[in-house]
Amino acid sequence: MADQDAFTFETDFWKDESIRKAWDDIIPGEPRKTIPYVLTKEAIQKFARAVGETNPLYFDEEYAKTTIYGGLIAPPSIHILLMFACTPIDDWMRSPGTINAGQQWYYHTPARPGDTIRLVARALDKFIKKDRLFVVHDNVFFNQKDEVICTGRGWTIRPR
Amino acid sequence: MPQQTFDTIDIGELISGPSLSISRESIREFAEASLDFNPLHLDDEYMKKSSFGKTRFRGVIMHGMTNYALLVRMMTDWLSTRGGVLRRLEARWLKPVYPGDAITARGTVAHKRVTQKSRWMLFAVEIRNQNDELIATGEAMAEFPLVSS
Repeated sequence: MADQDAFTFETDFWKDESIRKAWDDIIPGEPRKTIPYVLTKEAIQKFARAVGETNPLYFDEEYAKTTIYGGLIAPPSIHILLMFACTPIDDWMRSPGTINAGQQWYYHTPARPGDTIRLVARALDKFIKKDRLFVVHDNVFFNQKDEVICTGRGWTIRPR
Repeated sequence: MPQQTFDTIDIGELISGPSLSISRESIREFAEASLDFNPLHLDDEYMKKSSFGKTRFRGVIMHGMTNYALLVRMMTDWLSTRGGVLRRLEARWLKPVYPGDAITARGTVAHKRVTQKSRWMLFAVEIRNQNDELIATGEAMAEFPLVSS
């Protein structure tokens, strides 16, 4: 990945499965290990293109400078990438078969190219419904100025 | 037609959002861009032999967050020409999306509220597939900041 020289990412989610927490091991409230991540313009634009974004706020620096944002920003949905970029290989979100049941996010300040992004995350709750093992995720992303980018909650069904 | 503002947008107004055609290639592209390489989205053999509680899948499925990102795209594009900023989106998935499907986002203005310091709008949003089946539903909230003079 030429656009992310300092950033390597294991794409085989089976490889480290044995060291990840199962539903039984997840303790609601306990902080998750996270990794600061430098968000590049290339990563933003690759993500934006993958969902068909054409808004010049993400692609056209000259245009973006004339807007209230004063420069390029990332689409709000960039947290989809950040959740994986800011978590280590043994994070339970990578367990093969993890099913996303729904999410809710509140957006405060846009993420920008060059931001160093920090995630504070934990499981907030876990429960069993219709014989399925659920975990409630609680996530907050900050930029290098400690401004909140966005805060979100998600529900996943655990494979084990 | 004059540009719409918070005051001229009516409850019940429809937002016609974008569509995406889903293929193995588009799912792979989303995986590369989001770093979500869960085999749910990439490995047909795994999907055919696995059972997920009572749910079974006939092959790889689209990332649920593609629905979410498409709803964000619809809202931010619609709001950016009307003085609004997306503040919140909540969405739930009801059905999986398979390669060969196409998904379309839609929204409806549901409520307006003025608070002490700002103005807010709520939207009902949804994703449907090519057979008009409901794939995802949700609610969005936007802020229309007061313009300081």
